[in-house]
Amino acid sequence: MSNEALLPTSSGAERPKTFREFVSAVFKNVYVLYTISIISFLLLWDAASVLNLLGKFLPRPMEVVYQLYDMFLNPLAGKTLLEHLWFSLRRVLIAFAIAVAIGVPIGLSMGFSKYVHAIVKPVFDLFKPMPPIAWISLAILWFGIGETSKIFIIVIGAIVPCIINSYNGIRLVDPELYDCIRMLGGNKRQEVIEVTFPAAFPAIFAGIQISLSMAWTTVLAAELVGAREGMGFIIITGMNVSKPAMIIGGMVVIALTAWAISVAVTHLERWVCPWKTKLE
Amino acid sequence: MENKAGVKKPKIECTNISKFFGEGQERIHVLDTIDLSVKENEFVVILGPGQSGKSTLLKIIAGLYKPSTGHAYLDGKEISQPGPDRGIVFQRYTLFPWKTVMGNVEMGPKLQGMPRKQRRELAGHYINLVGLNGFEKAYPHQLSGGMKQRVGIARAYANNPKVMLLDEPFGQLDAQTRYFMEQETVRIWETEKRTVIFVTNNIEEAVYLGDRIVVLEGKLPGKMKKIYDVNLPRPRDYTDPDFLELRHRITEETELTL
Amino acid sequence: MSDKQSTSSKVALKILPYLSILSVLGIWQLLVVTGVVPNTLLATPVQVVKLFFYKIGHADPDGAVLIVHVLVSIGEALTGYLLALLIGIPLGLLMGWFVLAEGLARPIFEMIRPIPPVAWIPLAIFWFGIGLTGKAFIIWASGMVPCVINSFVGVRMTNPVYIRMARTYGASDWEIFTKICVPSALPMVFGGLQVALAASWTALVAAELIAADAGLGFLITMGRRLLMPDMIVLGMVMVGITGVIIGVIIDRVEKRLVAGVRR
Repeated sequence: MSNEALLPTSSGAERPKTFREFVSAVFKNVYVLYTISIISFLLLWDAASVLNLLGKFLPRPMEVVYQLYDMFLNPLAGKTLLEHLWFSLRRVLIAFAIAVAIGVPIGLSMGFSKYVHAIVKPVFDLFKPMPPIAWISLAILWFGIGETSKIFIIVIGAIVPCIINSYNGIRLVDPELYDCIRMLGGNKRQEVIEVTFPAAFPAIFAGIQISLSMAWTTVLAAELVGAREGMGFIIITGMNVSKPAMIIGGMVVIALTAWAISVAVTHLERWVCPWKTKLE
Repeated sequence: MENKAGVKKPKIECTNISKFFGEGQERIHVLDTIDLSVKENEFVVILGPGQSGKSTLLKIIAGLYKPSTGHAYLDGKEISQPGPDRGIVFQRYTLFPWKTVMGNVEMGPKLQGMPRKQRRELAGHYINLVGLNGFEKAYPHQLSGGMKQRVGIARAYANNPKVMLLDEPFGQLDAQTRYFMEQETVRIWETEKRTVIFVTNNIEEAVYLGDRIVVLEGKLPGKMKKIYDVNLPRPRDYTDPDFLELRHRITEETELTL
Repeated sequence: MSDKQSTSSKVALKILPYLSILSVLGIWQLLVVTGVVPNTLLATPVQVVKLFFYKIGHADPDGAVLIVHVLVSIGEALTGYLLALLIGIPLGLLMGWFVLAEGLARPIFEMIRPIPPVAWIPLAIFWFGIGLTGKAFIIWASGMVPCVINSFVGVRMTNPVYIRMARTYGASDWEIFTKICVPSALPMVFGGLQVALAASWTALVAAELIAADAGLGFLITMGRRLLMPDMIVLGMVMVGITGVIIGVIIDRVEKRLVAGVRR
C-alpha cells in the first residue's frame, strides 16, 4: 500500500467540518469499507439463503458454522473433521517431502551440469503441460484407490516447482560473485559452498514454498476423485448427499489451512533468509 | 624488490597485451598492444571512456581473463589466474548479500584457513580503517552505496593483497558521495600503502587520485594514448590552479568529454 | 570463466535432448512389449498413436470422436477463461486505484483467494450441474484470482511521477485512471494471462475427471472405466498438447496487442 498518498481519494487530510464532509471522509477510509464489505456480504448471504434465491442450494452462514461444529464432534464416514484434515495434511507432507528430496537434487544437477540439463530438460518440458490431476486415472489403474495413488499424483504436482526453482536458482547466480570468491583465493569446492548454495538458496526456498501450495491443491483434486477420507472427501460427500453446508464448511476449512500454511512458510522464510528484501 | 643495479623492479608489468573476444565473424578486438609498468605502492589510474577496454585490462591483471597475446607479471611471476595476492573492488559492489559486513570482510582470511578469533580481529581492523565501525552486523541491503563500497574495499584489503585493483568503484554513487569516497580512498591508501590500479572514466577523479594517469583511446581496440605524471602534493585540492590546469590539459589532449 | 568450449561438447549438447526423448519413448515401448509392465496397465507409445488415428474417425467406445472431446474441453475452458478476464481484469484495475472499489471488494477477494480452484468443483456441480454452466463457473473462479491480483498490482506499480504530473494538469481521478494507470498496468496484466490460463486449464481437467460426459478429462476417466490404458494416455497427451497450443495462441495475441506498449 505504498502509493496511498497518490490515490485519488486522499486529499490533504483536513478535518471535516460539515456532516457531509464527515460522511464522505468515513466512506473514503479503507478500513471502514472493509468492515462494511464483510458485514454486507454476510447479511446478503443470509438474506439470499432465507429468501431461497438459489433454491435450497444456499445454506445460511450459521448453518455452515453449525455443520462444521457438528463434523468437529461427530464422525463422518468414521472420522471427525480434524481427523479428515489430518489425513489430507499427512498426504501433503509425505508427498511434499518426497518431491523435495527428488526434485531439488534434480534441479541442482541440471544447474551444475549442462549435460544433465540437456538430458532432463526436454523430457521435463514434455511432461510439464500435463496437469498433475490428469495422471489420476493412470495412477488409480496402477495403484488402486489407496494412499499410494494419491501420493504419486501429489509428488508429480509438487516436484515441478522444486526442479524449476532449483535449476534457476543456480543458473541465475551473479557470475561476478564467483569472480570475487576466486580473487579472494577460493578453490572450486569453496566456490560451491560459499557462493552457489547461499546464492541459490532463496530461489530454492521459493520453489519449495510453491511446491507446498501445489501439494495442497493437488491433494484436494486427488481426494475429489477417489478417497474415503480427507478434506476433498468432505466436500465431495457434501455434494453427493446434497448438503451445501458441508461443502461450504469444508471449503472454509480448506481455505483457512491454505492460508495458515502460507503464513507459516512466509515467516519461516524471513527467519531463514534475513537478507532478502521484500518487494511488496 | 631490487635488481643488481639497485633499481626497483616494477610491481606489475604488462607487456604487449592484446585481447580478443569471440571467434570468426564475431571477434571483437578489445585491447591492442598494451605495455604498462607499475611501481610498488604507486597509485596508477587507467582513464578512458566507456568501451575502451580498461575494465578488460584490469581483469587481465586480476587473472580473470587471459590475454590473447602478451603477458602480465606480478613481482616477476606471470599472472595466469585469479588469486589472493591481488585484491579487487567491483563496480557493482558484488558483496555477498547473505553475509554481514563482518562476514564479507573476513571471507578472504576465512578461505585461507585463518582461525576465527584471528580473522575477526583482522577484519575488524579493516572495517575500522574504512570507517564502518559499528556496522559489523549489518547486511549489505541495509547499507548505502558508499558504505557498500567501503565494505568492498575492506574485504579486498583484509586478504592482504600485494596489489589493489579497483574497477570504476564509484561509478554508481552520487556526486557528493563520490567526492567523499575519493578522499577516503586516498586516506585509506596512505594509512596502509599498497600498489593500486584504479580504473575510471572521470578525469577529475583521475587527477585527484593518481600518481600517474594512463589514458586509453576512446574506441575499441583500446590502445595507450598517453601517460601523465601527476606531481601535485597530497591532499589535493579540486580547485587548485595546477589541478585544474592538468585536468584541462587532459581534456584537451585526449578529447575525452568527461 | 573459460572463453571457449570444445566443439565436441557443443555437438553433444545439441543432440542430447533428442537422444533423451527418443530413449524415454524407447524405454517406454520396451517396458510394455517385453512384459515388464503388463499391457493392462500401460499402453505402448505405438498403441497410443494408433488409438489417436482411430479416434479421429470413430466415436466408439466412449461416445464421441476425438475432435469433439477437444472442442468441448476448449469450449468450456475458454468460456470460463474469457469470463475471468472480462470480470477479473477490470475489477483488479479498479481495486488498484479507487479506494471504494478496494475497500468493498478486497475482503471478499481475500476470502476467496486461498481456496484452491479444485475446491470449487463440488459446489459448482451442486449448483449448476454437470454441463457447461458448472464447468464455466469453476474455470471462471480459478482464472479470476490471478487476473485480479496482477491487474491490482499493475495499477499499484504505476510510476508516481506520472500521476503527480497529471494532477498538476488538473486531470480528474477517472482520467488519470484510464489514461495513465491502466496503460501502465498492461504488462502486469498480460503477465497474469498465462498464469490464469494454466489455472483454468488445470481446473477444467479436474472438473471433467469428476463429472462430465464429454471432453478430454472425460476421455481419461473412460479409459480407466473401460480398462483401456491407451485411451488414458491419449487423453493425457491431448490435454498437454492442447494446453500448450492455447498457451501459444494467447502468447501471440498478447504480443500483437502489446506491440506498442513499452514498459
